[in-house]
Amino acid sequence: MITIDKVSKHYGSFQVLTDCTTQVKKGEVVVVCGPSGSGKSTLIKCVNGLEPFQAGAITVDGISVGDPKTNLSKLRSRVGMVFQHFELFPHMSITDNLSIAQVKVLGRSKDEARDKGLKLLDRVGLKAHADKFPGQLSGGQQQRVAIARALAMDPICMLFDEPTSALDPEMINEVLDVMVELAQEGMTMMCVTHEMGFARKVANRVIFMDQGRIVEDDAKDAFFGAPRSERARQFLAKILQH
Amino acid sequence: MNYEFDWSSIPGSLPFLWEGMKISLEITAIAVVVGIVWGTLLAMMRLSPVKPLSWFAAGYVNLFRAIPLVMVLLWFFLIVPQVLRGAFNLDPNTDVRLTSAMIGFALFESAYYSEIIRAGIQSVPKGQVAAASALGMSYAQAMRLVVLPQAFRNMVPLLLTQAIVLFQDTSLVYVSALADFFGAAYKVGDRDGRLVELLLFAGAVYFVLCFSLSQVVRRLQKRMATV
Amino acid sequence: MSYNWNWGIFGSPVPTGDTTYLGWMLSGLQTTILLSLSAWVIALALGSLMGVLRTVPHKGLSGIAAAYVEVFRNIPLLVQLFIWYFVLPEVLPFGLGERFKQDLSPLAQQFLSAMVCLGFFTSARVCEQVRSGINSLPRGQKNAGLALGFTLPQTYRHVLLPMAFRLVIPPLTSEFLNIFKNSAVCSTIGLLELAAQGRQLVDYTAQPYESFIAVTLLYLLINVVVMLLMRVIENRSRVPGYIGGK
Repeated sequence: MITIDKVSKHYGSFQVLTDCTTQVKKGEVVVVCGPSGSGKSTLIKCVNGLEPFQAGAITVDGISVGDPKTNLSKLRSRVGMVFQHFELFPHMSITDNLSIAQVKVLGRSKDEARDKGLKLLDRVGLKAHADKFPGQLSGGQQQRVAIARALAMDPICMLFDEPTSALDPEMINEVLDVMVELAQEGMTMMCVTHEMGFARKVANRVIFMDQGRIVEDDAKDAFFGAPRSERARQFLAKILQH
Repeated sequence: MNYEFDWSSIPGSLPFLWEGMKISLEITAIAVVVGIVWGTLLAMMRLSPVKPLSWFAAGYVNLFRAIPLVMVLLWFFLIVPQVLRGAFNLDPNTDVRLTSAMIGFALFESAYYSEIIRAGIQSVPKGQVAAASALGMSYAQAMRLVVLPQAFRNMVPLLLTQAIVLFQDTSLVYVSALADFFGAAYKVGDRDGRLVELLLFAGAVYFVLCFSLSQVVRRLQKRMATV
Repeated sequence: MSYNWNWGIFGSPVPTGDTTYLGWMLSGLQTTILLSLSAWVIALALGSLMGVLRTVPHKGLSGIAAAYVEVFRNIPLLVQLFIWYFVLPEVLPFGLGERFKQDLSPLAQQFLSAMVCLGFFTSARVCEQVRSGINSLPRGQKNAGLALGFTLPQTYRHVLLPMAFRLVIPPLTSEFLNIFKNSAVCSTIGLLELAAQGRQLVDYTAQPYESFIAVTLLYLLINVVVMLLMRVIENRSRVPGYIGGK
């Protein structure tokens, strides 16, 4: 579904990504972790072209992201993304947040988009909040709406960019529960997250990044069993202390 | 385009234009100094716990900021001199109109300076005044020794930017017949029938001066941001 | 000092006899309002366009918008006005300048020059406000729009601008007030707006105080009305649950 092949990126002389290669197969859940500044958020943003890269290639469903001829907007409309800071649109009601892109990008009718949005809102347990505005919801609720908003586009895969790291601890689980459910239904997912419990539960593979490189790319059990690199071992030890 | 430009009247008039520029700069300098001093006093009154002072300052600032500069200049050019003459029995030969217009200009700009300075004072954390009082300073001492120095440091770029605006505003003394740079340029253009060239020249001069100064301010701002 | 106050002056007929001095005053007020509103439309449209251009990821376009702002911000309004009114008709190509001078009444020439001048002058300020509004939005908002498959123009239209405009209503209010105040500058090219009518009254009657007080009060009135109006707009556009817009 997603292939990343020898991708490198730099800002000026600062190297952010070096020779990153991996892939995510259909139905697979891949967790990307690593210390802050390791380039994991940048890598996931390269997948739907939000960040340009200078070398290598990324394809999603066979379409090259780096190719200037690719219609990026069209590709992005098929790839769901969830952000660290939710990024709901504050000036629109929850319902409008869920339907605007369905109407303006996919060309669905307003009623169809509304119904679809409400159905997904119900699924994340927030149907009662349909007419509220994002500022009136808690962080956890906003993030669940953001997941529903991405799902409303019927994505072929989902990208999660640290979806729980801006949340208060008591709200993390309500978001993770939605993600777990999604994974168990067979959604293809690439998740940047430090939630190792989530990784243990549903991930097929874990990628560990450090200083812009993919240091480990292992099946889940192998990774948690015996990480090969010293950096990954230290990282896991630190995370587990919490 | 069939207009034929003829710039020949400019070189000969440069000394005259320079006289005008000196007046523009002089007005700017006076108004900046008066504006900052009187503006600081107004800002302190506005923030003071003494209600009548605060009301006076608020009324003053809001009044001057609500009326056009052109109106203020006309008031001080046409009306105020008459009042003064009546009140002080001035010799009818002394022409106080220009001085009066200058004062009006400075009073007007003070209102704008006062708002900048008020924001600057308010940007200094409240704890600073508390700390100064805890050391035994009076309110005035706390203001003078602790708050204002910090406030002014933060405000330098804004005060300079306002000075650029003020310099541009001086062109409006045209309505009170003060012979500033713009007035001089207009006179030369009118005399030689070369208004087009002189106006473009005046515009270019203002642009070069204001743009360069604003670049200096920008650089200053950047340096302060990094300190 | 013996000044004869006479507020009845506004009821007396003007020398030409076709109206009263009050009529002059009101026509000045009308010109000021018409001029300011039409210039504001130009300023808002042009300023928003330039503000957007300043933030797009394209060096050339944002450079053009930046240069535009510098030109209109670093030349005094009075000089700009004289250039629009005295210079432009002389140098316009294709006989446009001649047609401007011959086909239009003096009043139309003054009004058009003043309107365009105020519009462009204010648009540079509006541009800076719109730009800072857009830049103050979290960067993720743009990414979120793009990630949903919006094109860049769609992202501006549906995501960035609606929020940016709400944020900049207070500074735009003060620009809106400024345009009324700046319109007084247009008396210098002979346009009979409020300030010019006030001055005309001083020349024609012996009642300068009444005239200037009336004009000043009318400017204050405009100020109050505009502020109330903008407060209504601000309240209407307030986003529920969103603080920090103020």
